[in-house]
Amino acid sequence: MKPILEVTDLTGGYLPNQPVIHHLDFSVKESEIVGLIGLNGAGKSTTIKHVLGLMEPMSGSSKIEGQTFRDEPEIYRSQFTYIPEVPILYEELTLWEHLELTAMAYGLEEQTFLTRVRPLLEEFRMDNKIKWFPSQFSKGMKQKVMILCALLVEPKLYIVDEPFVGLDPLGIQSFLEYMVKFKNSGAGVLMSTHILSTAERYCDRFLIMHEGRLVLSGTLDELRKRSELKDATLDEIYLYVARGKVT
Amino acid sequence: MIDVKKLWTKRRNAHLTQMLKYFSLMANSGLIVSLILLIVIGSIYYAKLLQALPNDFPAVFILTIIFSIWLTKSPIRTLLKEGDLVFLLPVESRMKQYFSMAISSSIAAGAFSTLFIFTLLWPIVQVFIHDGWKMYVIFSFFLIAAKIFNLFVSWEERRLPYKSHQMNYRIMRFIVNFVYAYLLFNEAYLFLIAIFAIMYVLKNFVFGFFKKQHGYQWEMLLAEEQALKIKGYRLVNYFTDVPALKQTVHRRPLLNRLAVFSFKKNNAFSALYMKTFIRSGDYLGLYVRLILLGFLFIYLIPPGWWQLAVVFLFFQMFSLQLFTLYTQYRWNVSFMIYPINDTVKAKAFENWLKGLLIIQGLVYGVFYWILTGDWIVAILMPVAALVYSLVRLPAMSKKHIPMTS
Repeated sequence: MKPILEVTDLTGGYLPNQPVIHHLDFSVKESEIVGLIGLNGAGKSTTIKHVLGLMEPMSGSSKIEGQTFRDEPEIYRSQFTYIPEVPILYEELTLWEHLELTAMAYGLEEQTFLTRVRPLLEEFRMDNKIKWFPSQFSKGMKQKVMILCALLVEPKLYIVDEPFVGLDPLGIQSFLEYMVKFKNSGAGVLMSTHILSTAERYCDRFLIMHEGRLVLSGTLDELRKRSELKDATLDEIYLYVARGKVT
Repeated sequence: MIDVKKLWTKRRNAHLTQMLKYFSLMANSGLIVSLILLIVIGSIYYAKLLQALPNDFPAVFILTIIFSIWLTKSPIRTLLKEGDLVFLLPVESRMKQYFSMAISSSIAAGAFSTLFIFTLLWPIVQVFIHDGWKMYVIFSFFLIAAKIFNLFVSWEERRLPYKSHQMNYRIMRFIVNFVYAYLLFNEAYLFLIAIFAIMYVLKNFVFGFFKKQHGYQWEMLLAEEQALKIKGYRLVNYFTDVPALKQTVHRRPLLNRLAVFSFKKNNAFSALYMKTFIRSGDYLGLYVRLILLGFLFIYLIPPGWWQLAVVFLFFQMFSLQLFTLYTQYRWNVSFMIYPINDTVKAKAFENWLKGLLIIQGLVYGVFYWILTGDWIVAILMPVAALVYSLVRLPAMSKKHIPMTS
């Protein structure tokens, strides 16, 4: 399968000469969900910020469809949508206006927007809340707004940061079903999460980060082989890695 | 264990220092001078107004209304914080000390402000009811006593778990206060004593019961505290920027109809800016205030070409304030990663500001034209807005809007 996102030898951080992530190499291909896993502070969010083009790499690169953010900022960013860990909304816009703004910003046709938006709202049971403001939403509903905005665009690549916290079980299920649906029609997903049982069931490959480095990657079988843990669950492999047993 | 007494003292001191800081900022800003000017002019007109009032002016009735509303409104600053809902709940049984200190300081503030309001209205009392310093003391005493009663009783009222029940008791207090104030301004002291008896019964038996039946309504107390805090900040905000002030959002459906944009990528930001401007509490208010203040200046300053300089000044004031709207989006990750060039974002912002400035110029122009009949300067006002936005705005946006690409 063709890679959508290619991260090569990526090193970066917040202070010069003090990189937080070191020499990362990974890719997300068409029709696959890749789980990004690591302890708090392992460097997942920093990695994601580099992929989003919000941070500049010290060395190495992050390419989407062969182009870096520097090369073609607009084209780079129109290839993906992002669901942040903490939902951030515009206090002054209603749910409907959030969706509309997103559609406009990503250059969707009005007709496309209208045909996509209704089923999404119904699926996430938000169709009766389109005139609500963020201050009226619970944490889970805010998360749903972010998810709706990201799914609406139907990009090639989804970058998802811990989507399950605060979401109700039905919401989680709907979200996963959409992810699988888009995956089957060729999209790639990079998903950071701590909910390993879900990751194990839905991700095709895993990237396990520890202290800013990619220590293990591959399918579950490959992880088992490399960590020499036979029949281990993702949980067990992860704990093994997190305790610093793999270097 | 937490010493709740110390906690209160610490919070009160922090609150006072903060207020003092804001007060000095207010005193330093130029607006305080205009406020003093306004007070001086106001008091002259006040004296004139008093003379012009007819003899059958219903002073008693009006004073009664004012004070029954004032007495019924009994805000209590508890200085609670959001975290208290977690950290102070375990010591709820000992919070009595904390809250009684809070009530005491609210009583002090309430007594003082009651005296202040009464002093403001004293000239009316002098003319229509009764003159003499003894009367001033007696009226003040009774009003402050009633204020203290209301504060105590309303504290117990705050234990009721439903807003609607609280409202019922508040209406009851309003009626008592109304009768009280009416009797007071009619100088019917004998009846006042009867009302005192009723108030005693209310305090000890009706409101006193709530204490036994209900605990504290933490969330409501916190909501009240936050509302009061924001009220205070809003006042300060007229003079200086208050970062802690959370914007309140209003739906404003009628104005929002103006924010109609065709469904195009390039319009995304214009729609966003426009809606933020219309809906968020302060930007629209600022716009209107500055326009009105501009009217005042245009009115006060003799007509002529120099009026254009005045108008320029107001364009500058408005656009400087409005650039803070952009910083509101600074931490919004969606806003940062939209696949739209930063220059387009900034350009949309400039264009939108340009529109507002031209409207401002037009409004000034019309006002000036009505005032003086001088249509040349009047027409030049919106032209000045256009020139201003073409010359100044790009430089300002370069300074205020960060570019990443």
